[in-house]
Amino acid sequence: MPITTTRRRLLAGSVATLALPAFARAQGAVKPRLTAISQWSAGSDGAAITALGKKFEEKGGVWQHSPVPGFTTEMMNKLRAQIMAGDPPACSQLKGPEIAAWSKIAPTVDLDSIVAAAGYEKVVAPDLAKLHKPGGKWIALPLQIYSTNMLFLSKRGMDKAKADKIPVTWADFNELAEKMKSAGMNYPIANGGTRPDDGQKFEASFAGISPTAYRAAIMNLDKKALEGPEIKAAFAQTRKIADWCDPNVGAQPYATNLKRFIDGDMGMMIQGGWAQGVLRNAGFKFDDFIIAPGPSDNGKPVFLLNADAFIFWQRKEPDLQAGQTLMAQLVMDPAIQTMYSQITGSIPVRTDVNLSGEGWSDGQRRTAAALKDAVANNQAVLSLAHNMAQQNGLTAAMIDVLTEYVKNKTIKPEQAVTRLADAVEGAR
Amino acid sequence: MIDVVATAARPATPDWVRRLPEYLMIWVPLLLSAAHLVTFSLWTIWISFTPSTLVPVTGWVGLRNYTSVLASRNWQIAFDNLLLFGSAFVLLSLITGLLLAILLDQRIRGENVLRSIFLYPLAVSFVVTGTVWSWLLNPGIGIQKLVHDLGWTSFRFDWLVDRDMAIWTIVIAAIWQSSGFAMALFLAGLRSVDADIIKAAQIDGAGPIRIYRRVVLPTLWPITITVVVVQLQFAISAFDLVRALTNGGPGIATQLPALVVYDLMFQRSQLGRGAAAAVLMLLILLAVLLPYAAWRYLRRRRATHA
Repeated sequence: MPITTTRRRLLAGSVATLALPAFARAQGAVKPRLTAISQWSAGSDGAAITALGKKFEEKGGVWQHSPVPGFTTEMMNKLRAQIMAGDPPACSQLKGPEIAAWSKIAPTVDLDSIVAAAGYEKVVAPDLAKLHKPGGKWIALPLQIYSTNMLFLSKRGMDKAKADKIPVTWADFNELAEKMKSAGMNYPIANGGTRPDDGQKFEASFAGISPTAYRAAIMNLDKKALEGPEIKAAFAQTRKIADWCDPNVGAQPYATNLKRFIDGDMGMMIQGGWAQGVLRNAGFKFDDFIIAPGPSDNGKPVFLLNADAFIFWQRKEPDLQAGQTLMAQLVMDPAIQTMYSQITGSIPVRTDVNLSGEGWSDGQRRTAAALKDAVANNQAVLSLAHNMAQQNGLTAAMIDVLTEYVKNKTIKPEQAVTRLADAVEGAR
Repeated sequence: MIDVVATAARPATPDWVRRLPEYLMIWVPLLLSAAHLVTFSLWTIWISFTPSTLVPVTGWVGLRNYTSVLASRNWQIAFDNLLLFGSAFVLLSLITGLLLAILLDQRIRGENVLRSIFLYPLAVSFVVTGTVWSWLLNPGIGIQKLVHDLGWTSFRFDWLVDRDMAIWTIVIAAIWQSSGFAMALFLAGLRSVDADIIKAAQIDGAGPIRIYRRVVLPTLWPITITVVVVQLQFAISAFDLVRALTNGGPGIATQLPALVVYDLMFQRSQLGRGAAAAVLMLLILLAVLLPYAAWRYLRRRRATHA
C-alpha cells in the first residue's frame, strides 16, 4: 500500500504543477463539473436523474453521470472500487445507515454551511436528517421519499369484488382479500417474490400491527421486542399475504404482475410509491388504480420510510468542488424536488412543498399527508427491506429468514421468530 | 519457410535460441497466471483472518469469520445442496454421457451431426442455459403450461418454485449443458479400444453387451476418473448457472457455496466472512483434487516401473 500512495502523491503532485498556470487563470470562473454514480439507469428513475442532469447543465455545469444498473449493491461495488483507487465520484447515491458506514472509509464533504444557507434542516423529518449527518455534520442530502408500505388497489379488481371501501386495518385487508378470492381471483395479491419484496410483506405487516414494537425490534434490535407477541402476529399476517400471492412468480419482481393487476385478475399490492412511476411508465392511467396508506391496526397511518440520497465525496479539483455546491443547492431546491418526485412517483423530502397543484397524483398527496400524520404520531419508522433500518450485513441476514419464511409454508410463525432473533445475533 | 531455410543455412545457432519462442510462449503465461493465482489465493486467505467489512483492513480476528460462516444457515444449506447437487450431477452426467457415447459408437449414419448437437450446449454460456431453463421450467409459461394447453390440465411440473425440488432443476440444466462433454471424452475412449481385442472377444463368442461390460468399459476407467474430477470441480464452483436459473431461491433453498461467497463479499459488504467462505470452498476443491493428483502420481509410477 505505501508504494501506491507515494506514486499517487507523486502523480498528483506533478499534475498539480502542470496544471498550476491553468488553474491560476481559471480560478475566477471555473465551470462546475459533477461526476456522479447511481443505480438509476432506466424507466422513471433514469428519466428523473436525466432531467436533474439537464437542470445542472442549464446552470452552466458539466454533468457526468455513470449509472450502474441493478441493485444498489452493484452500484456500491463500483463505488468501493473507485474509493480504493483513490478516485471517488464527486457525488454518489447512498442511503440510510450506509451513509455512516461508508463515510468512515473515505473523506466526505462538510455541507453544513450550504444546508444552513438554504434553511433546509427545518423542513426535513428529524429521523431522516439524523441519517444524513452521522458525525453531527451534513455529508449527504436526501433527494426523495417513498413509503414502502403503500396499498395499491386495482379499480377493476375492486369492481369485480363489488368493494368500494379502502381497507384501513389488517382485518379489513384480509376481509377484502377473501372477498376478491371468492369473486374469482385466484391470487388477489399482486406482490412479487424478490428478496426486498418478501421483506416488504413482513415489514408492512409488523409496522402496521405495532409501529412501537417495530421500532424496538427492527430498528433498535431490542431482544425482548424481537421475541414479542407483535412480531409473531406479524409473521402470521405475512403468511396470509404469501398465501394470496401467485406462487409461480418465483423470484420475479412485482412488475411481472402489473398487467394482471390493472386488468383486475389481481386486486391488491403492498408496494412502495415507486410502483406508481412504474405503472405510469408502462402506460397505465391514474384512473386504473388507487393508492392508500398501508394497513394500520390503530387506524393512524404508519409510514415505512425509504429515502434516496446523495453523498458527497471530497475532491481537490476546483471544478468538481463547484459542481458539488451547485448539486447540493439543486437537490435542496423545492422546484427540483417537485420535478423529480413527479417523474418517479415519490414525495419530496421537504415537508413545505405544496402538493395540491397539478402533476401530483392523489396517491402522492395521500402519501405526503400520511408522512405528516405519521411523524406527528411518531409512527414514521425506517424500512428494513430497503436498507434504511440496519446496515447491509444485518439486513441481508434478516431478509434471509424472511424470504425463506415466505417461500416455505411449513415454517411456523413462532419458529420464524426464533430464527430471526438468531440471525440478528449471528450477524452482529 | 524462410525461417527453416535460414536455420538450415546457419547450423551454428544454439539450440536454446531456436527454442526461445517456445519457452517464451509456454513459461511467461504460465508463470504469470501461477503468480496471480497464488498471490490472490494467499491474499484471500489473509483477508479471511481480518475484520474486513466494506474494504480490506489489517487486524486479526483468528477463526471468528470461519465460525460465523459455518454457523450461518446460508452456508449450511449451501453445503447440503453441494453434496446433493455434486453427487447427483456427476453421476447422472456420467451415465448420460456414457450412454450417448455408446449409442454414437454404433457406426451410425449422421454421427458427426449428432455429435455436434450433443456437444453444442457446451458452447452456450451458463447464464444463457440458466435463463432458458428458467423459462422452460417456470410453471406459468413453460413446460407445465404447454402440457396444460394441450389438454392435460392435472399435469404438474413446478419444481422451479418448489423449494424441495428446485435443486433438481439445476441438476437437469447442468446435465443438459455438460453431458456432451462427458460423451466426447467417452467416445474418444471407446474409439481407442484396440479393435483386435474386440475381434478376439467376438471370436470367443461374446455378445455385444458382454463385450462392452467385460472388455470395453474396463478400459474407460482413467477417462471416467478424469470426467468425474472435471465435473466435480465444476459442481463445486457452480455460480452463473444457479444465479441465472434460481438465484438461490425459492427463498434460500438452492444456495451453493459460490453464491454465498459472492453474497457475503459483494451484497453484504462482509469481505472477511466472504473470504473465509472462499477459503472453505478451496478446501472442498482440494479434498477432490488432492486424491486425484495422488492417484495419477501412483499410476504413473506403476506405469514406469512396469
